[in-house]
Amino acid sequence: MKFTFMCKKEMVQSAGPHGRGKVAIVGAGSAGLAAAGYLVCQGYEVDVYDKLPLPGGLMTFAIPAFRISIKSVMEGFEDLRDNFSVKFTLNTKVFKKDGVRHDEGDEFIKNVIDLKELVDSYDAVLITTGTWRSRKMNIAGEDSKGVYTALEYLFLLRSYSMGYSEHKPSKARKVIVVGGGLSAIDAAEESLLSGADEVYLVYRRTINEAPAGPFEINRLRRLGVRWMELALPKKIIADASGRVKEVELIRMRLGEPDSSGRPRPIPIEGSEFTLEADIVIVAIGELPTPPAQEEYLGIKLDRRGRILVNEKYRTGNEKVFAAGDVVSGPSKVGNAVFLGLNAAMNMHLYLTSKRLTQGSG
Amino acid sequence: MLGKVDPNTSAVRDFGFLRAIDYDRCIACGTCEAVCSFLNSGVTYIKLFEVSKGFSRPISCFHCRKAPCIHACPTGAMRKDDDGAVYIEESKCIGCLACLAACPFGIPSLSSVTKTAIKCDLCKDLRGHGLEPACYAMCPSEAILYGKAENVIELLQKRSLTKVIGLRYELSK
Repeated sequence: MKFTFMCKKEMVQSAGPHGRGKVAIVGAGSAGLAAAGYLVCQGYEVDVYDKLPLPGGLMTFAIPAFRISIKSVMEGFEDLRDNFSVKFTLNTKVFKKDGVRHDEGDEFIKNVIDLKELVDSYDAVLITTGTWRSRKMNIAGEDSKGVYTALEYLFLLRSYSMGYSEHKPSKARKVIVVGGGLSAIDAAEESLLSGADEVYLVYRRTINEAPAGPFEINRLRRLGVRWMELALPKKIIADASGRVKEVELIRMRLGEPDSSGRPRPIPIEGSEFTLEADIVIVAIGELPTPPAQEEYLGIKLDRRGRILVNEKYRTGNEKVFAAGDVVSGPSKVGNAVFLGLNAAMNMHLYLTSKRLTQGSG
Repeated sequence: MLGKVDPNTSAVRDFGFLRAIDYDRCIACGTCEAVCSFLNSGVTYIKLFEVSKGFSRPISCFHCRKAPCIHACPTGAMRKDDDGAVYIEESKCIGCLACLAACPFGIPSLSSVTKTAIKCDLCKDLRGHGLEPACYAMCPSEAILYGKAENVIELLQKRSLTKVIGLRYELSK
């Protein structure tokens, strides 16, 4: 991924001894890296901060390698670093210093920097911290050993396969994946590839409502995944050692459309049944992970935890912009890239007009 | 004749450049559409369509070697550059969309601003600076290929071969 697709090194003009200004980007995922590419092409000095040991975010640490080419992401990162002098500060979480929230993928953090430090020392800051928390089912036994969120599970596999973790995910015999989106698809496919004997994909509505769509689900069925629709886990039953042993599920039927416009799944009383499992993967959605739990430095969140920005991608703080999944909620790489590029362009416009009004251009 | 290419350029002899989409590799992430739209102020010349529920793939101009749009264009606005990209010379275009009528893939469309035909030109401006078409440069799944036609075709053939015999001989990728 050539994040600097708009310029060559020789084309970049730097205005004055310090260039056009200094920008910090928090989060080196698709939105952050796309923004970095735009900004270096405009002549800015760009520093990128990320909590993981490598840039790329979900592209590197969650999305299976057969979907996204790690090589291509790394080439894009090296181009930014080597040809455009982007400084990457990895293993570093940027957050409001008192009250750092633990998110998924925090295993590699060595330093924490207060967001305020960045806001004070850069001309502008872009927040692209994504969605690194998973929704929970909130059922009994969910904290049993062998129960993962899709993000946890995929992160574990990717960290291990890239040599960042010595903890190999244990080989599963029977896997139950809960959910109907692309994270569920990826988790089911990865567990099948890592040698599980039996993989169930359990969804509370039908294949027609599943966000991943019939094509992906049917592709997995051909690979051997068992598709079980209209079922919902009710509780997870662990053995004496606290390890998941089986899952109690309840059959569902479709009712009237709910607020999402899809038919509401309704439990069928007395239809409970159990399935054996030694790994349960919960893939029912991810949540935004902004660098503060609540309003901070004027940066406001909506009730779903997404950073509020105006049409110029600016937060409540004049110097701080935000883009990617932390603004839109979970989406696709393309959407994150689009938001990242547009936010970067607006940062450029903001800094240009500021420079002109201050007459120091 | 208007729009006719010079058969003596080397680009024509070796079929020029080719941009191809490997639909098996594509994950419908929409990055191509995003960068195209960003570069063209919200208009995109590579576009994803949901072919069936939950299954989308992008389509864009194929830059035909014997492009019917070039022959259909009554004003000579539709042209081919040295790399083999079919593009529109805006000042000559009258917005009749004869090119669309001639196109087997329904690619050309109309600009609401200039009222002239618009389509993918494989990022002519970027290529002019020695850069690559943005959709190719940014595709995260290596599904969009671009380069000398013979190299792109060879790569596609190699990928197909790996697919066909890979499992049989348990070869790793």
